[in-house]
Amino acid sequence: MENFDYPISERIQGLKEKRKRINRDLRLNFERNRIITEYYKTHKNEYPILKRAGYLYTWLTTREVNIEDDDIFLGDAGPQCRTVHFDIEQTPISWIEGCFGDTDERFRAAWQVPGSVWVSDEDRAWILEAAKYWEDNSIAATAMGLMPEDFVAQRGGMMKSLNGSYPGHFCPGYERAVTVGFGECRRIAQEKLEAIRQNTTAENVRSELFYRAYIKVCDGMILMSKRYAQGCRDKAEATADPTRKAELLRMADSCDWIMEHPARTLWEGIQTMFFYQYLLIADGTHWADSPGLIDSFLGPLAEKDIAEGRLTREEAQELFDAFLLHIGDQIIMFPKPGNQQLIDAHKTGKTFFDLQGGMQNIAAGSLITVGGMKADGSGGDYNLATEMVLLSYLRLRVAEPSLALRINQFTPDRIWAIAIQCSIRSGGMPQFNNDDVIIKAMLDRGVPIEDARRYAVFGCVEPAISGKEWSMAANCGSFGAGSSLMNVLQYVIHGNKDPMSGREGELPCKKLYEYESFEELQAEFERQCRHYIDEMARMYHFAALVFETAWPVLSASMMTEGCLEKGKDVTWGGATYNGMGSMISAIATVGDSLYTIKKLCFEDKTVTTRELYDALCANWEGHELLRQRILNSLTHYGNDDEGPDSIVRWFTNLWVDYFNSRPGVNCGTNNCGALDLYWVMGGMFQWATPDGRKTGEALSISSDPRQDCVKNGPLAYVKSVSKMPWQKLRCGGAINVRFDANSVRGDDAVGKVRELISTYFRLGGIQFHFTVADTAVMREAQKHPEDYQDLIVRIAGFSAYFTHMSFADQENYIQRFELGV
Amino acid sequence: MEYVNAPGRIYDIQGYAVHDGPGIRTTVYTKGCPLRCLWCHSPESQDYALQLGWLELKCLGAELCRDACLRACPEGAIRRTSPSKRMGTDELVEKIEIDRGKCSGCLRCAGECVTGALYTAGWDTTVDEVYARLMKDVDFFQNGGGVTISGGEAMAQFDFTLNLAKKLKDSGIHICLDTTGFAPAARFEEICPYVDLFLYDLKHMDSRMHQRLTGVPNEPILRNARLLAEKGAALQIRFPVIPKLNDGKENILATADFCASLGAAVRLVQLLPYHQAGRMKYERLGRPYRLKNVEPPSESFMEQALKVFQKRGLPAQIH
Repeated sequence: MENFDYPISERIQGLKEKRKRINRDLRLNFERNRIITEYYKTHKNEYPILKRAGYLYTWLTTREVNIEDDDIFLGDAGPQCRTVHFDIEQTPISWIEGCFGDTDERFRAAWQVPGSVWVSDEDRAWILEAAKYWEDNSIAATAMGLMPEDFVAQRGGMMKSLNGSYPGHFCPGYERAVTVGFGECRRIAQEKLEAIRQNTTAENVRSELFYRAYIKVCDGMILMSKRYAQGCRDKAEATADPTRKAELLRMADSCDWIMEHPARTLWEGIQTMFFYQYLLIADGTHWADSPGLIDSFLGPLAEKDIAEGRLTREEAQELFDAFLLHIGDQIIMFPKPGNQQLIDAHKTGKTFFDLQGGMQNIAAGSLITVGGMKADGSGGDYNLATEMVLLSYLRLRVAEPSLALRINQFTPDRIWAIAIQCSIRSGGMPQFNNDDVIIKAMLDRGVPIEDARRYAVFGCVEPAISGKEWSMAANCGSFGAGSSLMNVLQYVIHGNKDPMSGREGELPCKKLYEYESFEELQAEFERQCRHYIDEMARMYHFAALVFETAWPVLSASMMTEGCLEKGKDVTWGGATYNGMGSMISAIATVGDSLYTIKKLCFEDKTVTTRELYDALCANWEGHELLRQRILNSLTHYGNDDEGPDSIVRWFTNLWVDYFNSRPGVNCGTNNCGALDLYWVMGGMFQWATPDGRKTGEALSISSDPRQDCVKNGPLAYVKSVSKMPWQKLRCGGAINVRFDANSVRGDDAVGKVRELISTYFRLGGIQFHFTVADTAVMREAQKHPEDYQDLIVRIAGFSAYFTHMSFADQENYIQRFELGV
Repeated sequence: MEYVNAPGRIYDIQGYAVHDGPGIRTTVYTKGCPLRCLWCHSPESQDYALQLGWLELKCLGAELCRDACLRACPEGAIRRTSPSKRMGTDELVEKIEIDRGKCSGCLRCAGECVTGALYTAGWDTTVDEVYARLMKDVDFFQNGGGVTISGGEAMAQFDFTLNLAKKLKDSGIHICLDTTGFAPAARFEEICPYVDLFLYDLKHMDSRMHQRLTGVPNEPILRNARLLAEKGAALQIRFPVIPKLNDGKENILATADFCASLGAAVRLVQLLPYHQAGRMKYERLGRPYRLKNVEPPSESFMEQALKVFQKRGLPAQIH
């Protein structure tokens, strides 16, 4: 087996060390928040998209240009390397006041100690003052002004504390930024603007504003690039090292060229991507904007550089290594820790970064997609960049940004081999995507085949058409969430009541012991599902309206196909394709619970519905033998048994078909998927369930089986999950397998893992994620975290450093079924 | 193809058995073995009789189930122990212990145990039943994978093994037979056409030593290997390297020479470094583990041993 672990250059090693250093000495991005606050305060009546453009232009032309001595790629979205971003217009006031309005002593203990993210006294005073302005002008304020009364009555309180959030989860056209450039786009916009001025109509009047905004941001982008060029020249002048001087001057020439023109070299291509990413982050820390199929536009640049002698292969690899590290320098603050949490963490030697590093917020939730198929279907789209991106991940052992590899009949053996070895080392990097199923799923949405073949994955697992889709997956900011299979299950058992909170649902129904047959219970379950799906699909329209009204996403519109052409922001339906994703989760908890009721109470009749109901109400207290019987004698989902598997298929089809059929936002499609990030936390708020789960215990993970009930081994596990209707679950979904080291031992391990993935795909599976981590190794990592900083495990649609995860999440991960031999 | 739905006794069927031959395989483990290798990592496979297994972790205490197992035991072989922690909690419960001397192996207690702490190692089945179970995994076998029949010693339940192999062969499934080689030659001749690859163990080339380490002499094993090679069978030789027991230079040389003498029949030689993964299983069955002081061989030692095989032109690997 070829060893792909080629050495890392000294320079890259240095950058990696620097990251570790900065992680103990982070800064919050106040610069961006000062600029937007000042602009919005002084331009209150400017039309939203012009206001946005004005703010972005100000930011682009006045922000600090930061160039560091070891930069291979220039700048950051903030004033320092690894600035931690947050947006004041979507930050809960309660959090700001809680943290910065606290006593001086507690504020300092939380924010002004080594290892925290430093907030100066001045910044503290500023943010408290600024928060007052935003209270009535935030995204949440817009939402409160238009959400239906019933929604506000139910969730208004929660919304206020969330304070809304940008939709995120999209895949803008980085390719267009690199291969076309802002100069050419500006020219087109100018032409369109002039055409409208000749013939202004009710339909196009708003487009004039859009084009004016568009041109302004193009100008700003070109100016920022030139400011960086000047910065490089200044630095070059100050440096004594002739090599660095020459490099800086080369960079300066490139910065004068790019943005206005298409990139000519690999370095220019990547630097263009970064400048565009900084714009996206300054616009709003949109969760998980993803650069799409980067190898397809970086590959030709890399190949040309090498062919024409500008770069050696090693130098090109170094650029990809630097790219990977630097994209991971864009950090979004999520979750937002309170003072007590920070103080407690500091006491145990944990840093602010530790609290952040367990989630996918490092690299701003980005997901890179590589590989795939040519638009005309004539072959695979794999090139030198595909390989080099994978090799960067394999050698650098980083958990972010997330990485997706597309698999089809053209995938080269070498790519398979590197990818599998990479994921053996860094759990879940890459995730494997099944082109056969995803392309068909795109066709089902009405996407023409040429575009369907050009999908990329964004967020965690969500496929969208790269550079052409406004996808708003997940839940459209935080406004749309709130219905789940779990809630319906509890309502159906407890007569329209959530036993945990005591709150009533919206559709009165029977209690478990009142149903005459399982079919009657199923019918009620279905009625409830349809009701909450209707409500959710309706709310998504209002959620989209929040952004359409006052919060355009101009940065995404700049490069998303359709917007420039139609003169519409993405939030006005400008993109060529529109989608709204929503995830179902806790599949096994719900499926096993329904199967338990069916089998024990209605088929075998060994337990009455009353007994089971009483046991549940008592959280199994005094009913442990029954619970043990359910856990040990009943077959659960994940064992290739049609009993539970067919029930899982039933409600999944029910939910998917109905949700996907509802009219989507921006006249796009609704896209259901199966994924969860919060099964541990989610479980804390869920009462006991008939599958033997106790109150507060974790839910099952995404579409995976209940981990302690996998009794027929890994093939049965994989086969059960493959039976889900994946082609309809077009927002994606993960099977997430954990191997022990012994299972991937030996020369033929790569071939066997490949065959397992291939078989899952042949059976109709959509995506495959795996990690190799022995229980014993993870126990050691808990004891000696300093020795296991590189241990990366796949959580759901993202991977995390094991040692950064909370103790509860670590324990839950260790309890995952260990595929051992 | 004619086959008989013969009865068999097995103790496990495992999917993704990646160390039991090429590709993705599902392995059937038959129960009972004429050998008693000191390092055996599946002690539950040795006796043909069904055995009582005991997973202390799973026991929630005898109070909870009102002494279900104690009451089921006709020999009075089970009694409560002094309190110990229940898994995952600080709660102290009285679990049980088994007096293996008194236990008659009737397994009634396992039938009563609701937590699965007491369980039966092994079950009776038939060719048809096992075949149906194996075919659920058929999708995974398409590229070079298949079924491995292992043990115990599968050749000891010859009727079952032969008929299962016939039936699988009929469905075009690739079949590996994992064997100690210790069985009558006629049986190997008979089953040979239905087996695609023999996973064939060589444990010691000196018959007296072989007897000491495994309980049986090696002559029939070596004879059967030669027979299979003559018949055109494909062999994957497996040589478990156990420090101090069979890792002497002389034995390694002799083993390599023997493999080389089998010619083209040998498709691969796998050197398997000793590991201690089986230790826990002895505890569950209430049996002593006899190799307590043996440590796994070093990597460099394994590399040296590998070279001996490679020098003779044998396709060999450490696994």
